[in-house]
Amino acid sequence: MDNGSVENGFIVDLSNAKNTSQLIYELSSILDLPEARNKKICLKLGDTDLNQSQLLSIKALIDSMQGEIGLIDTASAQTKAAAENLSILVSELKNEVEVEPEHQATQEEIDTVLGIVTTVDENNEEKQENIPLTPIADFSEVAEAGGLILNGDSKYVMMDTTGILPDEQKNHEENPESLPTLYLNRTLRSGQTISYEGNIFIVGDAHPGSELIAKGDITVWGILGGIAHAGAHGNVNAKVRALKLNAIQLRIAGLYARRNDTYNVPYVQKSNEFTPEVAVLENNSIVIYKKLRRDE
Amino acid sequence: MSGRVIVITSGKGGVGKTTTSANIGTALAKAGNKVVLIDTDIGLRNLDLLLGLENRIVYTIVDVVEGRCKLKQALVKDKKNPNLSLLAAAQTRDKSAVSEEQLKDICEKLKKDNDFILVDCPAGIEQGFQNAVAGASEAIVVTTPEMSAIRDADRIIGLLAAREEIESYKLLLNRVRPNLIATNDMMSVEDVVELLACDLIGIIPEDTGIISSTNKGDPIVNDEKSLAGQAYRNVARRIMGEEVEFLNLEEDKNFIGKIKDFFEKTIKEIKAKI
Repeated sequence: MDNGSVENGFIVDLSNAKNTSQLIYELSSILDLPEARNKKICLKLGDTDLNQSQLLSIKALIDSMQGEIGLIDTASAQTKAAAENLSILVSELKNEVEVEPEHQATQEEIDTVLGIVTTVDENNEEKQENIPLTPIADFSEVAEAGGLILNGDSKYVMMDTTGILPDEQKNHEENPESLPTLYLNRTLRSGQTISYEGNIFIVGDAHPGSELIAKGDITVWGILGGIAHAGAHGNVNAKVRALKLNAIQLRIAGLYARRNDTYNVPYVQKSNEFTPEVAVLENNSIVIYKKLRRDE
Repeated sequence: MSGRVIVITSGKGGVGKTTTSANIGTALAKAGNKVVLIDTDIGLRNLDLLLGLENRIVYTIVDVVEGRCKLKQALVKDKKNPNLSLLAAAQTRDKSAVSEEQLKDICEKLKKDNDFILVDCPAGIEQGFQNAVAGASEAIVVTTPEMSAIRDADRIIGLLAAREEIESYKLLLNRVRPNLIATNDMMSVEDVVELLACDLIGIIPEDTGIISSTNKGDPIVNDEKSLAGQAYRNVARRIMGEEVEFLNLEEDKNFIGKIKDFFEKTIKEIKAKI
């Protein structure tokens, strides 16, 4: 196995793919992401057996999506041999990210910036454990609302509510885990409001025009399109989670963010591929993480 | 300052009350007036969508009447025009959340610092209509050249005429299609005016641009090239007291029509020479 490193890399983990067609499907949906453009794609193929022509078509797919194949990580001898025949670098993937000292980034953010260098450094076991739980790709994104901007236009912008909201509300920190949870298995439609002194968990979509107001967290196992207010009594630890965060407004404690006018939500979500998103309060602004990793 | 309160109503749904409210409001504000749009369609609000202001709403008219906020806090400023603001309807309540007196009170308060208060009325003649009309002294009745819309407009005009507070009511004919009028498939403007015996304040041609403008949340009056936008701007000027001629929609002929016109004109000229 070669030693080497790839700069400006982008790791795509396909080790969970059950067959070649699923693998290619997942890969193409990931390469669609703006984050993957002009990157050296590093593929984690697990123990999938690929022959030379299959590997060649994957290479062609990456080329066609303005990418470049950096290296592949495989446990399969057949794949390894095929890659070597095509002179594709085969290596074991390790994540090494350089973090600027003044920027105290979380692990999610680190993955966001994704300056990935791969080496065959065996001492790096710790980082290896942090690999996402059910990964397709090892990426996560900070969409932001007033904080970090990755792709130019942000999805949310903070609202200036001075003079609009009363400032009597005191912020406090509370662990939402200690609160009761309302569990609903339904679609929330326009005009419907769910207000609860605890956490709200909805299996289904919350349509535009609906309202969710919770003392604790709001989690929507579906598309969130209405207004969501987590930590409505001022709990700054509250979060809003959804498979797709399209909320017209996101409110956490006393902070409000509105969806950016330039952000276009498709009339119908055609894709069945979701990247769960979570909105949290950070430094007086609502920040959205797209993530595949579970909260610690 | 004492602003004018104009209710935009129709009886029938889907004839373009909300589109008309958004466009006339925007046009009046663009002409330098201070304008407030009030959406009284509580429970089925749309005006915010047409203006692209949905994401900015914090308080609604119901919060105002129930004392959760001051009137000023509930006014949402337009993205483009600071002269224009919206008092949104609540989506999670129904028409009974607001009473006629409360709406009258809101209109009275808004009159003090605004030139125009446009009240977008819900369809129907029930509580929502009664609320919307309560504070108004003028009305614009929107209709389309269809029998059902005209029947409902007639009913509304009757109700408006019976109210002493309504000093004037005008007709706005929406979604006019000159090519269908030419082939006798649609009632002409004159027919509608005669049927309803009511003064016209505007004729708006059918315009496919309305669909995308509605979806984008950008009123069509902002599109200088659109004929419907032009027609709405003219309505705004008429409301401001200007004399503006109605658009000649017949001019909007197709290519063959234009060629026909050209030949007829040339033949006439040749005949005159001979």
